[in-house]
Amino acid sequence: MRTIIAAPEDSALKETSSVERALSWLVRGKDPRASHAMLIPATLWLLCFLLLPVASLLAMSLATRGPYSSVIWTFTWANFARALDHKYLVIVLRTVGYALSTTGLCLILGFPMAYFLSFYAGKRRETLMILLMIPFWTSCLVAIYSWIIILGRAGLLNNTLLWLGVIKTPLLILNTPFSVILGLVYFYLPFMILPLFSSLEKIPRTYIEASYDLGAGTIETFVKVTLPLALPGVFAGCILTFVPCIGDFLTAEFLGGPKTYLIGNLVQNQFLMAQDWPFGAAVTSVLLLSLISGVYLYQRLESQELERA
Amino acid sequence: MPKQVTRREFLRLAVAGAASPWLLACASGEKERAVNFFNWSKYIGKDTLPGFTKATGIKVNYEEFADEQEMFAKLRSGARGYDLIIGSDYMIPSLKGPNIIDPFPPGVLKNLANIDAKFLNTPYDPDNAYTVPYLWGTTGIGYNKKHMPKPPTSWWDLWDEKYSGKVSMLDNARDCVSTGLLLKGYPETATDENAFKEVRELLVKQKPLVKQYSSTQYMDSLVAGELFMAMAWSGDVLQAARENPQLDYVIPKEGSYMWVDNLCLVRGSQHREDTLRLVDYLLEGPVGAEIANTVRYATPNAEAKKSLDKSLLKDPRVFPPAEITKRLNFHSLLEPDVQQIWTDTWEDVKAAG
Amino acid sequence: MTKNKGLASFCCLIYAFLYLPLAVMFVFSFNDARRNVVWKGFTFKWYGSLFHNAELLSALVTTLELAIAASLFASVLGLFASYAMTRHAPFKGRGVYASLMSVPLMMPEVVMGVGLLSFFVRAHIPLNFWTLAGAHAMIALPYTASSIRARLLSLKDSRLEDAAMDLGATEWEAFYKVTLPLAGPAIFSGALLAFTVSFEDFVTSFFIAGIGIVTMPIKIYSMMKFGVTPEINALACCLLLLTVVLLASQKLLVRKDATS
Repeated sequence: MRTIIAAPEDSALKETSSVERALSWLVRGKDPRASHAMLIPATLWLLCFLLLPVASLLAMSLATRGPYSSVIWTFTWANFARALDHKYLVIVLRTVGYALSTTGLCLILGFPMAYFLSFYAGKRRETLMILLMIPFWTSCLVAIYSWIIILGRAGLLNNTLLWLGVIKTPLLILNTPFSVILGLVYFYLPFMILPLFSSLEKIPRTYIEASYDLGAGTIETFVKVTLPLALPGVFAGCILTFVPCIGDFLTAEFLGGPKTYLIGNLVQNQFLMAQDWPFGAAVTSVLLLSLISGVYLYQRLESQELERA
Repeated sequence: MPKQVTRREFLRLAVAGAASPWLLACASGEKERAVNFFNWSKYIGKDTLPGFTKATGIKVNYEEFADEQEMFAKLRSGARGYDLIIGSDYMIPSLKGPNIIDPFPPGVLKNLANIDAKFLNTPYDPDNAYTVPYLWGTTGIGYNKKHMPKPPTSWWDLWDEKYSGKVSMLDNARDCVSTGLLLKGYPETATDENAFKEVRELLVKQKPLVKQYSSTQYMDSLVAGELFMAMAWSGDVLQAARENPQLDYVIPKEGSYMWVDNLCLVRGSQHREDTLRLVDYLLEGPVGAEIANTVRYATPNAEAKKSLDKSLLKDPRVFPPAEITKRLNFHSLLEPDVQQIWTDTWEDVKAAG
Repeated sequence: MTKNKGLASFCCLIYAFLYLPLAVMFVFSFNDARRNVVWKGFTFKWYGSLFHNAELLSALVTTLELAIAASLFASVLGLFASYAMTRHAPFKGRGVYASLMSVPLMMPEVVMGVGLLSFFVRAHIPLNFWTLAGAHAMIALPYTASSIRARLLSLKDSRLEDAAMDLGATEWEAFYKVTLPLAGPAIFSGALLAFTVSFEDFVTSFFIAGIGIVTMPIKIYSMMKFGVTPEINALACCLLLLTVVLLASQKLLVRKDATS
């Protein structure tokens, strides 16, 4: 840091002044234009790799499929009409159903866990949090592979049950809706626990003590003090679980069967197999628009809830 | 000052260090001799490509696909730079139509004469310009003798509720819809809506019994005993039978399909000369034999047959005798709009609840 | 206190659930059988064959190169963006930028994957290493930006830059010589997160990886799809170890940063 103290020499000042003045203008940030200039790289990046791709999807969803899976740029609503046709609506509803059950299960399993970590874990909290992060950062492909070993007809679970004499013939567990939801809960549980934990952490412990001091019981304190204060975490956790669930296709591909065809699989199929890009784009757009409106509604609801609380 | 210099120097070094492998790769990229080969999964010998690289010094970037539609999609989306692909007979019009493949320059392939004349000048490529036959095989039922003491004889066995949750179907329109049309008594070239409606109903009816739609994973499931029966390709089952001798393969009595897979040149390829050398190499007798011995499919290469395993050559499941061949047909060549109906029918089946 | 015990055992069950697949993977990586389901004896051979598998090693190199490039891009972009967001005087449109930065977090990856694929193909942009690295950097940007933002906000009150400028440094010098070194650990920890994001990414790579670009997750996917290979377990254990090391160093950095 010695160099800072030394006053800049005249020659150096002359040499770098114009460049350095510009840089200082950028860093100073009194001028809004400097702020915009500093944000330009990231914005351009997001424009090229996110906004334009999504826009091109939206545009393609209004185009027509040509022979040999080409795309013809004539305007049509037909792809959307087809995407909302009852046979595809079934897939949409199924996916939403799976995502909702996963979110619900994650909340039921995750809340007590986050509660324990925040209120009772004490000194071991940090270790426990790191232990939670490790499965979260493990490649989900690898976890899927392990679940196949565990759940298969001749897998660990069936073998154990057979050995214990609980069942006589192996159960069909893999390739069922059960195995898909199990996989989804496994992958997205940490997405639920982390925001729950951080919102529970923010609750001032004095509030809870005050509630006890005023004569409220454990349950009353939980319902009237802890839970309302943890709501932002609940909302964030639900969104963070629900959104990736809706787009998931790997879990259904490997752990699912014929009955667990989800939107993600449909989209993947349209782009990589059936080669109907306009229709695939329309399905993706429907997915995206419903997600955006869902998240928006949720945020509205959340802010209302928070105001009431 | 020294502290800053080192920091700045360090940054510069770090960036340069990180970038240099790519810069080197970019610089040498033009000189590198390589062929980008896109093939079916489990469809080549162990030593085939290393042998080629050893003999010629040309590197082969080898990628596999599990589904022809996937391959077609990757080619259509372009910009991927494949040089050599495998296309089944019925795919050739779709590959020729949008100009995905190029004809072979005449007279370059010295070993083309090794191919059995039966496989040349076929309906899908009358002048034999676009294709070089690679392997051929059949579609049928693979099953596990341990779980199926009475072997399946009919396609309808895949609809038998006794085996609910123990059967799998190939995951593509070509095999499932053609079988549906066959079972419903329609020709493969049918275009009327009723035919496809019936096929759709037939396949949807089977859906609760199907454990998985799969064109690759079924081999492992058969070996592991997860599946009792699977709609399958001949060589795949015979490959799996190496690991589980209980596996067997049968052509159903209603009949089925045979097909020839062909080597095709991708248009816009940057490595045409090296690609042709690879094709010629694959046509060599011993090389063709090594491939067929590994993958257990039939070879159209007369020269290769000479050095084939005797057991393979005599195996009726690989080279079906006349009484089975009369039940086998080649897939019809469909117009793009009919093909679309097939795709949509299959998509409906997969989407059904 | 009874409730505490009940909760504790519930948590143990959840941890057991989360670690069951990892444990299975670890145990079976030493299983001397090609089929994974039956235990046939202890072996190290899958680890041995891992290091002789040229395809896997080249996939590892590709994945590392990608992750380095993506984390480099994401850190630089994240640094500029979060500096302007935290240190500059409030300006019009800051909220828009803030929500823009978080969009990648809220977007299902499959949407980004097909969007990027259709955009690149339609715009005739070749699918190569750099397009994939750019996409990874986009996905990782929210992670680097939030890591750096947190640090810059906590530095705001220290007024060290003011002190530097009082001593005659220009704003740029104050930024370069004071802010940057102080934010260094946060930048590095953000870069580590970005590295992990890119290293683990499957969906986006699956859609837009060009020919010859086979990353580790893509390799694992095709190994799973084209048949059981017992090497997967050994490979997964090695990758897990790498992830643990990366995460532990990131955590250590954050803690050191917080105490200094």
